[in-house]
Amino acid sequence: MEHTVFFSGNEAIAHGAARAGARFACGYPGTPSTEILETAARLEGVHAEWCINEKVALETAVGASLAGVRSLVTMKHVGLNVAADPFMTLSLTGVNAGLVVVSADDPGMHSSQNEQDNRNYARFAKIPMLEPSDSQEAYDFLAEAFALSEEFDTPVLLRTTTRVSHGRGRVVPRVPVQLEPREYARDISKYVMVPQYARVRSRLVLERLQALRRRSEQSSLNVLEAGTADFGIIASGVAYTYAREAFPKAWSLKLGMSNPLPYAKIARLYEQVSRVAVVEELDPFIEEQVRALGLPVIGKEAIAADGELDQDAVARALEPFVTRKAPRRRRPVFPPAPHITSPPEPLAGLPVRPPVLCPGCTHRSVYTAMRRHKLAPMGDIGCYTLGALPPLLALDSCLCMGSSIGMMAGFNKALGRKGAAAVIGDSTFFHSGITALIDAYYNEAPGLVMVLDNRTTAMTGHQGHPGTGVRPDRTQGPAVDIQRLCEGIGVRCATVDASDYGALDAAIGAEVDLVGLGVIVALAPCVLTAPEKAGEILVDDARCNLCGLCLEIGCPAIAPADATVEITDACTGCALCVEVCRRGALVCAGVEDGA
Amino acid sequence: MNGTTTVSLVGVGGQGILLAAAILAETAAAEGLDVKASEVKGMAQRGGSVLSTVRFGSKVWSPVARHAEVVIATEALEGHRALGMLAPRGTLVCAVTTRIMPGSVLRHEDAYPDDLAEAAAASGVRLLAVDAEGLAREAGTLRAVNVALLGAASTALPFSQESWRRGLAAAVPAKILEVNVRAFALGRESVGEEEVQ
Repeated sequence: MEHTVFFSGNEAIAHGAARAGARFACGYPGTPSTEILETAARLEGVHAEWCINEKVALETAVGASLAGVRSLVTMKHVGLNVAADPFMTLSLTGVNAGLVVVSADDPGMHSSQNEQDNRNYARFAKIPMLEPSDSQEAYDFLAEAFALSEEFDTPVLLRTTTRVSHGRGRVVPRVPVQLEPREYARDISKYVMVPQYARVRSRLVLERLQALRRRSEQSSLNVLEAGTADFGIIASGVAYTYAREAFPKAWSLKLGMSNPLPYAKIARLYEQVSRVAVVEELDPFIEEQVRALGLPVIGKEAIAADGELDQDAVARALEPFVTRKAPRRRRPVFPPAPHITSPPEPLAGLPVRPPVLCPGCTHRSVYTAMRRHKLAPMGDIGCYTLGALPPLLALDSCLCMGSSIGMMAGFNKALGRKGAAAVIGDSTFFHSGITALIDAYYNEAPGLVMVLDNRTTAMTGHQGHPGTGVRPDRTQGPAVDIQRLCEGIGVRCATVDASDYGALDAAIGAEVDLVGLGVIVALAPCVLTAPEKAGEILVDDARCNLCGLCLEIGCPAIAPADATVEITDACTGCALCVEVCRRGALVCAGVEDGA
Repeated sequence: MNGTTTVSLVGVGGQGILLAAAILAETAAAEGLDVKASEVKGMAQRGGSVLSTVRFGSKVWSPVARHAEVVIATEALEGHRALGMLAPRGTLVCAVTTRIMPGSVLRHEDAYPDDLAEAAAASGVRLLAVDAEGLAREAGTLRAVNVALLGAASTALPFSQESWRRGLAAAVPAKILEVNVRAFALGRESVGEEEVQ
C-alpha cells in the first residue's frame, strides 16, 4: 500500500510548499490560516517568521522572492485587505523566484468579522488563482502554484476556506521538486513602478491574463468529469466535494484553477448536458462569468449567497431545478480579447523631459553617498523615487507606500547578509514604514534604513505629517521625533545633516561596517521650502577636464560646456558637485550679497 | 459661441502652468461660458513636461481633448513638442526665449531643437513668438513668464479686456496681482496689430 500521511489542509499547504522548494514562509496569524506557518516552522530547510501584519509579510516575501528564494505568505481573508497595497502592484512587477499568497477564507464566519470572498482579489489583480478541494490537492497545488508563478512572472493566489484548511485527509507525499537557482537581476523597468514603467507593465499584465486563460483551458487542474445524468455542475474548492456527493450522476467541471476561467471547457460541459448549476459559496464569482458567456445557469437563485454549504444544502437547493424543463440550448459567446493601448509615439527628434530631483535636493546627496558605499537600496514612494531614473539609477525597487523596509528585510534574510538597504521618506515612514521597522527588529533582519527626512510630504505639495506636526491649516501640532521613535523600538539610529555631504558620507560609511539593523535619518528641509541660495558655485576652467563626475549626480543646474562645465541659474548652491569633483575645479563662494 | 474651444498650456513643472490655466478658466467663466479644466499633478511636476487643458463653450462635456485651437507654451522645447496637438490652423503662443535644458541635452545625448518657426510653418500652425522672459523682467519678476505669455495669447482668444481683468483678480493671489497685471498688459501689447486675428 502507498505510503500516506493524514494532514489538515493547512499542514498539507506547508508540506506542499516545502516539497516545491519554498525556503521562506511568513504571515500573520488568522483563523483559518494560522497552522500553515506553524507547520512550516517545524519543517527542515524552511525559514518561517511571523510578521507584524499581512502587508509587511507580503513585502518581506517579495524581498525573499527577489533574492531568488521561493516564498509563501499566509493570511486569513481579511488579512489580504491589509496586504492589498503591495498585492495589487506586485501583479505588475511580477516575481523572481515563485511567490504564493495563501488566503484562507471563512464562509459562515466561524471566527471572523466578515465573510468576504477573496476570489474577487484574483480577478481584481489579474493574477492566477488555485483552489484545492482537499488535503491532497492542497499539497499538490503548491508545486503547481510556484511553477505558474515563475513561468508567468506573477504572484499566485491560493485560496482555501475553513473546511479545506481545517479539514483533514490522506495525503500521498511526492518527490521533492528540483530547482535551478534564480539569481537576482537588477531591473528598474520591472521593479520600480513609477508611471513610465508601470504603464508598460500594465499592458504586459493584460497580455499575461490572456496567456493564463489559455493555460487554464489546458490545465489538468480543470477537469471535465463525465456523468450519466442530463445535469452538469461547475464548482471549485470544497463546494466541488459537496456537489459530487449530492449529485453522483451529474457531469462536473472541476475548477482547480479558477482564475482566469477556461471558457472553452465550460462550453464543452454545455455540449454534454442541458442544465448546468454553479455550486459555490459566497459570491456568484463563477456564475456571473458563465452568464456573461450568454449561457443559462442555475446559481445564486438556488444556492445561498451567504454562509457555508454542505451536500444536503446543495441537494435541497438544486433538486427543484434539476427536474425542471431544460432551457433552450444556447451557444456561448466568448468575450473578445481586450483592446490594449499602444504606447504613445513621441514626436520624432525631440528630447524627452522626464521629471527630475530639483537642483539642491539633498536626496541627491544621499544617493551619491550611498552609491560610493555600493549600497543598492529598495526604494519607496515620494520625490526620492525619481532617483531610480538615469543618471542616478539609485533604487532597485518601488512597490507601494512603506514597502522598502519589508522588502529589504526579506531580501537580506533570504541572502543571509546585508545585500540591500532601504530608502524611505519621512512621510512614507510614518504612513507604513514604522510597522516594517518594528518587524525587521523583531525578526532580526540586517540592513541599513535611510529615512530621508525633508520635513514635509514633498511630492504632493508640502503637506504636514506626524513628524512635523503641521496641520492642514498650517498651524502647529505635536510632532514625533523619528530618532527617539527608532530608539524606543530598540533600533540603532543616528541623525545626520543631509546638507553636510562629508557627515552624510561618514555616517553611512560607519553604518555599513556594523552588523544588524540600523537607521540613519538624513535630515534637511525640502529645498523648495528654503528657496534662499546657499552659495555660488564657481568653475575653475583651468582645473576642469570635463571628466563628468559632477554630471553623474544628475543635477539639472550643471551643463557641460565646450571644455568645462557651466553652472546654470537653477543652481541653489548646495555644493554637492564641489564634493564629488576630484580636481578642485568647483568652488563654493558663498552668496553674492555676502549674506 | 458655437462648439467648444480648447486651449492647452504646456511647459516645465514649476513654471506656473496651473496658475495660467486658472486665470484662463476664470476669464472664460467671467464671459458667462461653461468651462472645464484638467491637469496632471504630482510626480510629473518635478521638472518634467506638464500639460494643462482648459475648454470653454456654451456647454462643455469632456474635460480633456487631444487637439487644441490654441496652445500656450512657457518653454520653447515644450512648444515644439505641442505642435502635434494643435488643431489645423491653430495658434501656438510660445515663450521662444525660455529654454530649459532637459537632462539628456545637458549630457549632450540629445540636441535642443532650434527650428520651431520652420516646424510650425510646416505644420500649418500660426506661431506667436514671444520674448516672455524679457516682458516678465520688464514687469518686475521673472516668475511672470506665464502671465506675460497669457497676455500675448489673449489676442487670439475671444474674451473682453474686462473679463481678463476679472479672471486675473479671481485667480492671482492679491500680493502678486499688480505685477501680474503689468506682465499681462505687456504681453498683450507685444503682439503687433498685423499679428492679431
